[in-house]
Amino acid sequence: MIAIIARHECTRLLHSAQTWIMAALLTALFGFLFLKHLEGFLDVQTQLAAQDHPVGLTGYMSVRYLEPLALVFTLVAPLLAMRSFSDEFRNHTHALWQSSPVSSMALVAGKFIGVFLVLTLLVILATGMLVSMQVFVSMDSSLIASATLGLLLCTSACAACGLFFSSLTQHSLVAIIASLSLLMFSWMLGSGNFTAAPMQSLAGLSIANHLRGFFQGYVQTGDIAFFLLMTLLFLCLSVTRLDAMRQTGR
Amino acid sequence: MSVTDPITDGLPHSLLEARDLGRRLSRDAAVSGISLTLNRGDVVGLLGLNGAGKSTTLRMLCGVLVPDEGDVTVNGFAMADNPLQARQHIGYLPDEPPLYNDMRVNEYLKLSGRIRGLRGHKLNERQQTVTEQCLLQDVESKLIGTLSKGFRQRVGLAQAMIHQPALLLLDEPSNGLDPQQLDSMRNLIMDMGRSATVILSTHLLAEAQAICNRVVIIHAGKLVADRPATGADLELIFHGATT
Repeated sequence: MIAIIARHECTRLLHSAQTWIMAALLTALFGFLFLKHLEGFLDVQTQLAAQDHPVGLTGYMSVRYLEPLALVFTLVAPLLAMRSFSDEFRNHTHALWQSSPVSSMALVAGKFIGVFLVLTLLVILATGMLVSMQVFVSMDSSLIASATLGLLLCTSACAACGLFFSSLTQHSLVAIIASLSLLMFSWMLGSGNFTAAPMQSLAGLSIANHLRGFFQGYVQTGDIAFFLLMTLLFLCLSVTRLDAMRQTGR
Repeated sequence: MSVTDPITDGLPHSLLEARDLGRRLSRDAAVSGISLTLNRGDVVGLLGLNGAGKSTTLRMLCGVLVPDEGDVTVNGFAMADNPLQARQHIGYLPDEPPLYNDMRVNEYLKLSGRIRGLRGHKLNERQQTVTEQCLLQDVESKLIGTLSKGFRQRVGLAQAMIHQPALLLLDEPSNGLDPQQLDSMRNLIMDMGRSATVILSTHLLAEAQAICNRVVIIHAGKLVADRPATGADLELIFHGATT
């Protein structure tokens, strides 16, 4: 059942002009950033080579090109997820799922997987540019793999967040504003230098703090767990919301 | 009226049992104390004025809305304990058909069948059957968003019956249809009544009299009459029950 719903959601997104416009703009952005930072590396590579621990092309591009893309995917993931439920509510199509032998859990999981599959294609597009350099120079595959994992985990958590806010309202604009506000707040928690203890613990909830290691080649279980738990939390909240709709009637 | 033998079928005689259903929407009681038993082969008209609680009752019967009080059993499955099994036996057409405007009719019917557990040959066969029953052959490859109100209602009906449910719940199926479309919708519902138990909400007395063999009247959220549709002046009964 989850596969059927995921396929439906994925097809719905791929049939939407909005998705293709977004994909085209992102491709242009990825291409621009990739070439800009590649040129930047060529300019400084002699200085980098003189350092005690010289940074290679992969290390440079991972931090300069891929790491900022995590912020781009934090914006894009809720944009793709925002219509998942809100459109169903607005167009009255949610009754089809509510009256069918489909559990709320299967519905949420199916919709999440559908959105995540489309986002995965975009992540592959972004990292694919770096991988394509393998044809010309030797690249650090493990660093690329770790950065890709970071991007996928961050995208998954942000998509789950967008899906949850989409389940709260029939207005997709409200859903996107709410999810972006929360996600941006989480990013900002990582940029402040907090000294007070409560604020330091809040910094533990920062997406940026948990992402940094992936782009430097350090894959920590704690960071993976953070993103998985964040994804799971928002998916569980979405299931709870859908079940509550049967109770409240709205 | 029963068209199947419960002993030979090994199935419960009553297809749907609702006991003391009550539901509050906002602060007011939308419906209260609704008890209803539907047997196999019944075609029941749910009558009532606007806002009487017909749609709320239907939404509770099909599991879309959880009742505050009472319980619903469909084909032996309690909606509260086995919601998925109970909903497997139900086809539901809400007052606003749940249609995806950007899907083609055949794609939509395939999706509706798949989420009800139909696969492969059986799915194709059922899609073909409901397309013919609902006279959708000419529009099956058209986008739903481009269809007229009458065709949209038919597509909604086709999705409700694609998995051959034992119980069909139709919320004002003839709402907004022109006289010709109304006539063909009635014929379609009467056809369906031969193979499934149907409960349809309407405020058109003539429609209930033409299609149904039993009428249930709801007024101010309460069930005020439950009687055969024929052999009585329905208009008189309706006015008596709702004033």
